[in-house]
Amino acid sequence: MLMAGGVTDPSRAPVAFGRRAVPQLFEELQQPDQDRRLRALNSLCDLMHDPERIQQTIRAGFLEQLKVLLEDEDPSVRTKTCELLLMLSCKYTASEALLSSSLLPPLSQLLDDSSSSCRRSVHRVMKQLSVWTSGASALLPLVPKLMLKLNEEEDEEALVLLLSTVSCCSRVDVLPALASDGVSLLGQKLSHPSPNIRREAAAAMMTLSVCEDGRQQVCEQALLPVLVGLLREDDIEVQIHAAGVIMYVVVITPGKLQCLDLDAIPVFLDLVSKKKEEEDRRRVLVMYSLRVLTALAEAPDGRRLLLEQLPLLVARSEATEEDENIRRAAQTAVRVITWTP
Amino acid sequence: MAFVSRSHRDPNETYTFSSRPRPVENRPKYRGPPFEQMQSNYGNIMYDRRVVRGNSHGQHIIPTAAQTHPIEIQRQQEMRRRKRAREQFRTMTPEALQGRKHIEIQTELYLEELSNVIVATDTECQTDAFLDKPATPLFIPAKSGKDVDTQIEEGELFDFDLEVQPVLEVLVGKTIEQSLMEVMEEEELACLRAQQRAFNELRNNELAEVKRLQEQERRHSEEKERRIAQQREMLKKERETAEKIAARAYTQQYLADLLPAVFTSLRGHGYFYDPVEKDVETNFFPWLMNEVHKSLEKRYIARELLDTIIQEVAQRRLNTTC
Repeated sequence: MLMAGGVTDPSRAPVAFGRRAVPQLFEELQQPDQDRRLRALNSLCDLMHDPERIQQTIRAGFLEQLKVLLEDEDPSVRTKTCELLLMLSCKYTASEALLSSSLLPPLSQLLDDSSSSCRRSVHRVMKQLSVWTSGASALLPLVPKLMLKLNEEEDEEALVLLLSTVSCCSRVDVLPALASDGVSLLGQKLSHPSPNIRREAAAAMMTLSVCEDGRQQVCEQALLPVLVGLLREDDIEVQIHAAGVIMYVVVITPGKLQCLDLDAIPVFLDLVSKKKEEEDRRRVLVMYSLRVLTALAEAPDGRRLLLEQLPLLVARSEATEEDENIRRAAQTAVRVITWTP
Repeated sequence: MAFVSRSHRDPNETYTFSSRPRPVENRPKYRGPPFEQMQSNYGNIMYDRRVVRGNSHGQHIIPTAAQTHPIEIQRQQEMRRRKRAREQFRTMTPEALQGRKHIEIQTELYLEELSNVIVATDTECQTDAFLDKPATPLFIPAKSGKDVDTQIEEGELFDFDLEVQPVLEVLVGKTIEQSLMEVMEEEELACLRAQQRAFNELRNNELAEVKRLQEQERRHSEEKERRIAQQREMLKKERETAEKIAARAYTQQYLADLLPAVFTSLRGHGYFYDPVEKDVETNFFPWLMNEVHKSLEKRYIARELLDTIIQEVAQRRLNTTC
């Protein structure tokens, strides 16, 4: 609110008018009094919804002050500073400025913080930063540390955020995550009771399995049964991500064989044949399942099974199918199944 | 015009004219239309152009009783001609060009005196001293109209409900504006995320296809490599077998007559021997030779001895004879 926060809301410092607002609040932040700092931070968080103010903050170079605040004794101050950073990192230019003003090292120190809300805020900031490519590249050195945190962190929300950060970073470069034994760590998380964590773990696994090594490791560590189990869940996001992992894994031969052993083909056929695709998510699931079937059709056992089910797939590849991607995927699948040397 | 004019030729060759005196007519400059010519205006003789005014010196007046002899006429004509010629001699200003006119004027009026000294005059002026003005009297307008008084009751000057409306509008408006902005921000972020997600999924899809094809290619190429290696192995083995067979045939042939050759050579080198013969050779012959040697030695010794005896004898004989 642009109105006088000090009068109406005791937890917020009063905001000056116009261009003076942000500089004055930052001056408040330098006061020794804890309370005032917290209130100033609250007001700043409110102001940062406006992109003009964000630009002002960056241009005036106030980000250095935030570095000091990140090492403050009061955990609520630290948490609030992280929230402020979250607001900043939602915008691209601001996140660039954040990264270039070397705020990451103190931020990564906070990962070991004692207060869980602070840790959660830090994870939120990191997740938001990792959405941008430059942020993801900057966070890559931190990935080993983050992977270690996977085991230590108990807070569910923080864990979810952590997993999505890892998956975003791995999209840029898979190697750090794989090197720190990512596959096995994520495999453990696949059987976590919370569906959110399972979903995020499956998503992270998907990014890891794009790389050849990742796929090999997934096969070696016998994670496919778990993944096929995840396919049978209700939450469609979990299904999608699990299908994605399997889609990548069955490209290599051991994956194919393992999948066929697990008798996964009927599951996928079932997914493909479902007709209720009003939601986009279901469409994605169908696409992934078609790709899995395509890959499985390269194995002789798979082909035999799929030849029997060919009409279903042909129906999918007809011109009546609205979604072009599904049609193309189905045509590829049919082509692979009916291929003869 | 009612006048009578009489003119007749005099017998003396002079022309006379006489008419009754009449006032001069003011003749208009231009002859009017024939009908109007009948009018006759009497004009002022002073302003008549036909009347000669002024000095009559030098004017060309025709003498009334002019008895002009032809000589006179001739002389006059001569004079006129001479005058004209004289005039022609004198240089005069050339005739004015077409459209121009020569006018004689005097420039006196337009002359200006030029001098270095600029005519200057000093002037001064002085304002009148201020006169003290008396103070203006206070203007008190005359009282007019009626006296009226009023009393403000409670609540009339300030009505909260009316006054609060704009303030409230601003408050509510700003709040809603801010919240709208926040909601829009979140929506935008959500939209962005959804778009990103959709893109990611498509990308994953295509990536999986790419990976599958890549894998297929790799398998195919591996298979090809293996088959080629296999083929090469086979060829090598074949070649080896052929070489082996050739080698075997050759060795067989070579070894076929190796055996007799070996035996022959061995026999030639003396490896097959008769033991009795060998024994005889090894043992008997050296002993025999030794014995022969000894006996020959004895004979030689004897001969030597004989030689020495003979020589001694000969020597003694020689010594004794000398």
